[in-house]
Amino acid sequence: MERNLRSMLPRGTLRSIYKAIISILLALVVTSGLFIISGVNPFVAYFYMFYGSLGNTNFLIETLVRTSPILLVSLGLGIAFKCKVWNIGAEGQLYIGAFLGAETAISLGNTPLALPAAVVMGILGGMAWAAIPALMKTRLGINEVITTFLMNFVAIDLVTWLISYPFQSPTAAFPQSANVPAAAILPVLVPGTRLHLGIIIALVIVFPLVYFLVQKTTLGYKLRVVGENPEAARYGGINVKRTILLALMLSGGLAGLAGLFEVLGIQFSVMSSLSPGYGYTGIVVALLGQTNPIGITLASFLLAAIYNGSVSLSIQLGLPTGIVYFVEGVLVIFVLGSEYIMRFLERKGVFKR
Amino acid sequence: MANADYALYVEGITKTYANGLVANNNVTFGVLKGEVHAVLGENGAGKTTLMKILSGCLAPDCGTICVNGEKVNITDPMKAIKLGIGMVHQHFSLIPTFTVTENVALSMFLPGRLRLEDVKNKILEVSKNLGLKIDPDARIEQLPVGLQQRVEIIRLLCQDVNILILDEPTSVLTPLEVEELFRIIKGLKEKGKSVILITHKVKEALAISDRITIMRQGKVVRTLSASKTNERDLASCVVEGFVPSRNGARTAPGEALLIVKGLSVKGDSGRIAVKGLDLILKSGEILGVAGVAGNGQKELVEAITGLRRSESGTILMKSCDLTNRPPQFIIRSGVSYIPEDKMKRGVILNLSISDNLALKSIEDAPFSRRMVIDQRKVEDRVQNLISQFGIKTSDSRACVSSLSGGNIQKLVVARELSNGANMVIAEQPTAGLDVKASEAIHKRLLDLKSRGVAVMLLSADLDEIVKLSDRIVVMFDGKIMGEFMRGDLDMQRLAKMMLGSD
Repeated sequence: MERNLRSMLPRGTLRSIYKAIISILLALVVTSGLFIISGVNPFVAYFYMFYGSLGNTNFLIETLVRTSPILLVSLGLGIAFKCKVWNIGAEGQLYIGAFLGAETAISLGNTPLALPAAVVMGILGGMAWAAIPALMKTRLGINEVITTFLMNFVAIDLVTWLISYPFQSPTAAFPQSANVPAAAILPVLVPGTRLHLGIIIALVIVFPLVYFLVQKTTLGYKLRVVGENPEAARYGGINVKRTILLALMLSGGLAGLAGLFEVLGIQFSVMSSLSPGYGYTGIVVALLGQTNPIGITLASFLLAAIYNGSVSLSIQLGLPTGIVYFVEGVLVIFVLGSEYIMRFLERKGVFKR
Repeated sequence: MANADYALYVEGITKTYANGLVANNNVTFGVLKGEVHAVLGENGAGKTTLMKILSGCLAPDCGTICVNGEKVNITDPMKAIKLGIGMVHQHFSLIPTFTVTENVALSMFLPGRLRLEDVKNKILEVSKNLGLKIDPDARIEQLPVGLQQRVEIIRLLCQDVNILILDEPTSVLTPLEVEELFRIIKGLKEKGKSVILITHKVKEALAISDRITIMRQGKVVRTLSASKTNERDLASCVVEGFVPSRNGARTAPGEALLIVKGLSVKGDSGRIAVKGLDLILKSGEILGVAGVAGNGQKELVEAITGLRRSESGTILMKSCDLTNRPPQFIIRSGVSYIPEDKMKRGVILNLSISDNLALKSIEDAPFSRRMVIDQRKVEDRVQNLISQFGIKTSDSRACVSSLSGGNIQKLVVARELSNGANMVIAEQPTAGLDVKASEAIHKRLLDLKSRGVAVMLLSADLDEIVKLSDRIVVMFDGKIMGEFMRGDLDMQRLAKMMLGSD
């Protein structure tokens, strides 16, 4: 069986899958410790987690609803990470894209143009916000990890201010924008649920596009080369700065789209509680999926399930909802350490080299 | 002579690398106490492999090593130091931001509390003993290369090493520093230490050593006394049948292709490294650039290839201005470049062989159209190059990091010499390659030349330059010191020019 897989999959893919599975298992083991400290049987906890995310059709659909923004954000981050550009600012790019896209739709009113124009502006908004740290990196050499991360707070507070004052809905008591026009709303796929067109667009349009871009185009090639050895890239005639700029902006654009779809599909107006941290979850997913679009798609679904499972778990067992952030954090640590864990296991002969 | 008279005696050492290259083949030689012993040979003759075995960096397949007549087993560099064998590598292993004392302390494996004061006293004692001036509190990055090398030597002496191995110690030094180094080596000898000098420079071996062991293709050719031989005999012994006239068919050099005028380029330290240099490279010629490393060759090449800004001057290719244009423009103008540091600049170690061979041409038809890569076309060319240049691999999708150094070298050369360039800059194109592979690359360079390509050859190996070049210019201190045509080459004058005199 393993032999067959080995010959079917490209070199190193099987190893990447092992690495991801090991990371997930170790994260679950460590989380079990947390459950035990909290006085909860880990098996019971994981049962509720599983049940709350995949247990019945309704829960499964809710998990898919959650998958959509995570998938869009992490597909974008996968592009940036491939180029070893560490965009920690998807959360902020998501808010700016959502705001710009939604306001575009609102200003166009109930016209057929509202949806496409909103999509374009949502993407451009995220790209523009990502362009700021990108230019700071390529022009001034400022580390993008710090700038992208700190700009999240700027973005969220800026959007909160905008929907509190200049763009606040006249009819709302809380900081919140006007409602988006009906023509811009993404249709629901399964009546009676919140599952909207966003997941289809993410899976059928964005995923293949990103896959194609990364695997089959010269830009994808350049991303890889710049990520692995910028010195050789420069020597090889690749414009390193432009590649980094593009990588950051593409990831920002998809984050913006993710934010916009949350507004157009779920919330219908921009609120400061738009995202429960999808921009950060996307980082976990992109790392767990090892920047591979297929891996990222699977990891998006997994993290969405963990998210919803944790929420249901905390309701059932009275645990804090923060569990999901704990799992994400532990997962990041093990994903980052998985290469060393894998090498250790290979040395011990558990896996073949 | 009994083995006991030798400070170090090795017998029957054989080392075969994983890729099948036999680097050492039944090597036997001995070093006397208080002797300076040169190990002489071409690049890839197996000198460094042998020394790495002696200093515990590599394990031999078979053979015995005796220190002071006793058979020993050198398992690692620490064991070698305990046996009194220490090596100064070609690339120093000092920490630039540490002081001399801290660097020495680092390798002394002091147990418990660190008493830097004791280390400092030891350094002063050792340096006074030998008459070596060094400031123990100076930071390494502030010291010139010659002094850094001195720190390496002092470090070994602080560890009571009796046999010092120096790997190509003069390649990075200025002529004055070379003199100083030779004085130090003589001092070491007087103190009864043995020094093994690895070099490919015949003259150097003659100047400083008592005995010389010549290696060729992994074997010891012979060991002879320095006083009983001369440069000519040695040279012909190092390179079998050394005749500097294998340039092949002489073609009349064409018109000037590359014209460099008044070029000034800054080095990494911000110092001007190329100082108003003029240079002409013609189609259909091989121009050898000779010179001690660090005299502006690297900066000159980087300015031509667009990797480094030039401060003033112009670089013209025919009528096209290449001055301060980006690398992609210069690549498109038909300039190929085999860089000296292949691992860092020439390849992307974590990407596949295919991806690496596609660098520089991936954006051209037929390999891609409108950004979409045609993997079949790429793969066709990759397979073609792999077989043409004899890159040993079973799978073009394998990571380059799985290849041996020699095969990585072949990969870079394959990519750069097969893309229809009209000008090739080759930096150390055969460093680390065995004789057969070197010969193949030489043939290809000559073949390109005969097809009208302009070739600029930079090599630490003077023999290589002499063998291939139609014209040789000598670089010293950022300027061209002089020029020789193939017919009227005067090695004496050339050597002098390399050192800045004449």
